[in-house]
Amino acid sequence: MARVYNWQIGRDMSYWYPESRPKRQFAAIFDTNKCIACQTCTLACKTTWTSGKGQEFMLWNNVETKPYGFYPVGWDVKLLGELGPQTWTQGAYDGRTIFEAARPGERALGWLPTDIDYANPNLGEDDCLGQVDGGAMFSLPHMSWFFYLARICNHCTYPACLASCPRASIYKRPEDGIVLLDQSRCRGYQECVKACPYKKVYYNAMTGTSEKCIACFPKFEMGLQPQCFVNCIGKIRLAGYVSTPDAARPENPIDYLVHVRKIALPLFPQFGLEPNVYYIPPVHVPAPFLRQLFGPGVVEAIAAYRNAATDLDLSGLLGLFGSTEQVVTSWRREGEVTIGRNDRGVEVVRTPLREPVHIRAAFDPEYAVARTNCP
Amino acid sequence: MSRRILAAVLVALAASGCGMCGRGVPPASPDVVAVMRASVPADPNDPAWAGAPVHTASLLLQDLVEPRLMTPSTAAVRVRAITDGTRVAFRLDWDDLTADDRPTAGHFVDACAIQVPIESAADLPAPQMGELEKSVEITYWRASWQAMVDGRGDAITDLFPNATVDHYPFDAASLPPGTAEQQAMASRYAPARALGNPMAGPRSSPVQNLVAHGPGTLEPGPSTDSSGHGRRLADGWAVVIARRLPAGVGPGGRGQIAFAVWEGSHDEAGARKMRTGWVTLVVEAAR
Repeated sequence: MARVYNWQIGRDMSYWYPESRPKRQFAAIFDTNKCIACQTCTLACKTTWTSGKGQEFMLWNNVETKPYGFYPVGWDVKLLGELGPQTWTQGAYDGRTIFEAARPGERALGWLPTDIDYANPNLGEDDCLGQVDGGAMFSLPHMSWFFYLARICNHCTYPACLASCPRASIYKRPEDGIVLLDQSRCRGYQECVKACPYKKVYYNAMTGTSEKCIACFPKFEMGLQPQCFVNCIGKIRLAGYVSTPDAARPENPIDYLVHVRKIALPLFPQFGLEPNVYYIPPVHVPAPFLRQLFGPGVVEAIAAYRNAATDLDLSGLLGLFGSTEQVVTSWRREGEVTIGRNDRGVEVVRTPLREPVHIRAAFDPEYAVARTNCP
Repeated sequence: MSRRILAAVLVALAASGCGMCGRGVPPASPDVVAVMRASVPADPNDPAWAGAPVHTASLLLQDLVEPRLMTPSTAAVRVRAITDGTRVAFRLDWDDLTADDRPTAGHFVDACAIQVPIESAADLPAPQMGELEKSVEITYWRASWQAMVDGRGDAITDLFPNATVDHYPFDAASLPPGTAEQQAMASRYAPARALGNPMAGPRSSPVQNLVAHGPGTLEPGPSTDSSGHGRRLADGWAVVIARRLPAGVGPGGRGQIAFAVWEGSHDEAGARKMRTGWVTLVVEAAR
């Protein structure tokens, strides 16, 4: 194994290959506070890419309810159980990554789902962790909680799928860091399925090969965001590029939210893959649970997010989510307006800080009807 | 006196390696001996196999390169060989109480393979898939491919009988079955098939020709002259793999061969397998 630097865990770690970062790294931010689990993203992906034979259970994009939702069943808790309790100290991870905890004969610590683990994609949907004491109907504030976690491939900097493939059938594109599985080379050993902690590689029983999210690279190459991003009716997603912390550019929307404001956090950074989908954590969920999912920065991230209403730059940038199909690689707030530009510096979107409010009379004299109050 | 004669006869039979010939069991052999016949059998049930000596090859864990197999499964493979002077057929038998021929998520299939050096040379390639500039030829048989050849269909219900599918794009009413447009739509959602990946099926042969020059380098071989036929027995598999005689190994010659077996129920695939080192292959001289 080689030694590589993983900035998300604040230290060097072991990895199967030497450090080789792409020229640019595909990245995304998902705002969990805005997701309503409508699964429009799931269907957008399914319709576009996985409607074939052997892909029936394949969800490159899925939305699951946390804490009791999983796809496949128990994907995270099984691995957390295998890894055992681990600790962070002052932002640095003291524990073992899945590469460092690999058992003899393995390249990463993992587990292999079977058919039945994929049979219940909505397991745990809308289930709460907290107990409703004594059959109470309502007693605010929240006695119980859950939230929706939208998931795609993390196009990790240190992918476990790539590390585990004995045939080098999986590669990371140097131009954008998108992780792809060569369908002409794969022989269906399922090592990648076993090693990916996020279980975002799926075995196709009809083609005998494994398949995974491709970040809609044909679109991304054209400067367009993937299907699951642009079809999101909650406008929770933003695609772009992330830099390493030392090279962060505040005018890059992803860098600003990940590195400057630190309100978007990686999913299970302790696994050691340096995943590149970042989550704005849900504000209502207990911090211990969120720390396990997103690492040690959750309390500060939520505090900053809660302040977005008066933080004009932050609220302005959050307004760019879902505002354009194009990939916005630079942004700037000018007074009450936020401007997004594409890779060529061309303005592609302009959003107001506050949506204009129109108040109409309750009665329409022209048609002699009462208007429905529709917020 | 008669007891001494009987004992002498038994000793002589044992020494000849033909102690059980009288009961129809093929003789044991320290090498893989390809006996000369007019033609090579294609089926494990062919009576010609009864006359071919059996070499029992002990199987070793592939525990040299990751991912490794850490616990042993199949102990040995019994090999017989018949040649017609041009082609050679090997019959591999091994014990396996579970028939694993459905490759689905988290489930693997039974398989076996034979391996020979791609060139005849005194300096043999490493038996673990060869090495750089010393490649090996591999012929690989797979139980799931045999099932397809034997009639398993190409629908998800052939793997999961209770599965129901609402709709596939290539089943749209606007795409008449078998038309180029319909096939193009089907390929669109099966990229491995669209790219001609031999793993992707459906298949007309249960074997595949491969070449390798070390672990992780397996590629489809340039020739497709191999054939195979596997049959499920009560407690294992009997598989015939036929190919041309290895390079430089003609009638009366000697070469090297290696074998591998994958036990599906033991999660074996790819590098996780039981394998042999090189075994001497003796080809009988033409009669």
